[in-house]
Amino acid sequence: MSRRTRHAAVALVLVAGLAGCGGDDGGGGDGKTLDVLIGANTQYPREFKAWQQSIAAQFKAQTGASVTFEEFASANDELTKIQTSVVSGTGPDVYAVGTTLTPTAYSTGAFVKLDDETWGKVGGKDKFVPATLGISGPDEQNQVGVPFVSRPFVMVYNTELLQAAGISKPATSWDELRDHAKKLTKDGQYGLAVAYKDNYDPWKFVWGMSAQAGNPLVDGRTAKLRDPIVKQAYDTYFGWLTTDKVVDPAAIGWTNSQAIAAFAEGKTGYMALTSTTSAKALDSGATKGKWKFALLPTVPPGATARPAGGVEAASILSGDNLLVADYSDDQDLAFQFVKLVTDQPAQLDFYQAAGNLPANAAALRTLQSDPMLAPVAQAAQKSVATPFTGAWADIQLALTNVVVQSIPDLAQGGAVPVDARLADAQKAAQSALDRAK
Amino acid sequence: MTLIIIVPLLLALYLSLIDLDQYTLRRWLDAPFLGLKNFGEAFGSGLPHAIWISVSFAVLATVATVPFGIAAALATQNAYRGRGLVRAVFLVPYVLPSFVVATVWRTMLQPDGIVNTVLAKAGIDGGLWLSGPKSYWTLILVEIWAAWPFIYLMALAGLQSVDSEVYEASAIDGADWWPKLVRVVLPYLRGPVLLACLLATLNHINNFTLPYVLFGAPAPDDVTVMPMIVYVTSFQSLRFGLSAAMAIVSLLIVAVPLFVYLRALRLDVHDEGGRR
Repeated sequence: MSRRTRHAAVALVLVAGLAGCGGDDGGGGDGKTLDVLIGANTQYPREFKAWQQSIAAQFKAQTGASVTFEEFASANDELTKIQTSVVSGTGPDVYAVGTTLTPTAYSTGAFVKLDDETWGKVGGKDKFVPATLGISGPDEQNQVGVPFVSRPFVMVYNTELLQAAGISKPATSWDELRDHAKKLTKDGQYGLAVAYKDNYDPWKFVWGMSAQAGNPLVDGRTAKLRDPIVKQAYDTYFGWLTTDKVVDPAAIGWTNSQAIAAFAEGKTGYMALTSTTSAKALDSGATKGKWKFALLPTVPPGATARPAGGVEAASILSGDNLLVADYSDDQDLAFQFVKLVTDQPAQLDFYQAAGNLPANAAALRTLQSDPMLAPVAQAAQKSVATPFTGAWADIQLALTNVVVQSIPDLAQGGAVPVDARLADAQKAAQSALDRAK
Repeated sequence: MTLIIIVPLLLALYLSLIDLDQYTLRRWLDAPFLGLKNFGEAFGSGLPHAIWISVSFAVLATVATVPFGIAAALATQNAYRGRGLVRAVFLVPYVLPSFVVATVWRTMLQPDGIVNTVLAKAGIDGGLWLSGPKSYWTLILVEIWAAWPFIYLMALAGLQSVDSEVYEASAIDGADWWPKLVRVVLPYLRGPVLLACLLATLNHINNFTLPYVLFGAPAPDDVTVMPMIVYVTSFQSLRFGLSAAMAIVSLLIVAVPLFVYLRALRLDVHDEGGRR
């Protein structure tokens, strides 16, 4: 079938379906409306809505244009919205896209690439925390994401339990964390809360430990999941439950929120992966006034110092970027909006409203004086971007699948045989990288 | 009909023939034409396993719900005090949204959930319900719980159509309850229950919400049913062409019982239901 025939046939089939599915293609300024797609905030919905209203009022005063916020419930909802907008060429003008989804959004080619002029419109790169720019694009010449907020991952620990165990400061290496957890495990008390059943947590441990040991899992177009470093990361992660026995056996069924809830009961020393958004839950449990955030360990398992080539990955680079759709007729207006919400006042307002850390460097500095937040702010600065490739979604899925399929072995105790599963993961990851265009 | 059925169907067929992913989505009309390669890859990957899991799960769930549905219909056929309440209670699993059913069962079947706690008191180790091989039986169990009232409803409708004269005649003939059930009542139910089985099997095969909420994605291999593999391929791997090919195969599989159903329906027009 020739391309022209194919186009004609498909266009004919589609014409009825797509007729009437128009979008808002207004210009900039007075009487215009900017459509912004942003993630819903289920923890602080009222505060989030108030922030939106405040921003809309400021934007109206500055530009004469209105802003409509459209919320999505999950990354999948957002992806669906991106897909339909990309195909139809209509939809939101600005997207708040999660950092790990940014490579996927970039690979669609549907967002404005940022040059010096566009960076200038939003206030310049210098106004952002340098680490947050790490996942704006594959390289400095091909960036699409303007950092909006940061949600770095940290540990939280029970100050009372650590003090009682004679531990003066939280662990800085994974081996030290295991040793602390062993000391803390006794009499119905566990050293560590881990969400083995979570669909997003497990790969973050594996990527972090591997990157610290010098293997970021992707080298150019080659997946490196069968590296002994990766196996050691899985062994360490599984070993907390099976051989070290420092985790509640029920953790094989826990999602992240269940692990937080278990930690909040006050009988666990550390919760290994959380963010500032858990503060509310921690303050409403038995841990009220007895918890602190700490950086995740940055020395890989089996080592007392990072080896050559290892990176100080305190967290994946986590948060949201703002992307402007290239089909938007209101791009100038969109960049004015991006500037407004990434300036210091709006960033601090958003932190107060939703608990997300600012990507604006000056705004973040003002929060570092709060001792409770200092480790989180430090984690934001030491966050490292996951490999920027359109294949990352598949790689992440493959890494998680190793844990999902290993849970029955975890429940049995003893060593978990991951070799065959890692081979499958490597195959899936390499296949995704081979398809990357 | 053209807009709702034929256009999406033709689109799905077209998508299944092209290399459509996040890289080609924007200019999808220019996406490379692959012919049947997506179908080849689908059968070379996890699709045959997913077909086996889906079909076996659907058939087992249907077979298991039939006795429950018929028994419940028989138990609520004759009038007695409180029958209305019993009938209403029987419908509860059916009217609950699938995600509510799955969420409640997911909570109960946690390793330290209420089911294992109760079993432990009886000296039984419940083990893992939501991971590993047992997850397959969990899926069937929860599906049975949620779906049996459909068979019950259809069987009850069948029972309502039995003439009272038939009961009276069998009573005059001195028939006991068992011969009356097997030789008089059940033949009347054959038509409606068979149709209910076909429709229920289709529903089980197409059920996405229940496995997705119960087990999450990626799901354990033992419960990777067809809707799950299509979902993961489409929305997590972003391979829309490949997932369209998988969806087409799913459609063909579902079309087999659908064909049987339509044929049975046509036969019923001439045979006046249970009066055969």
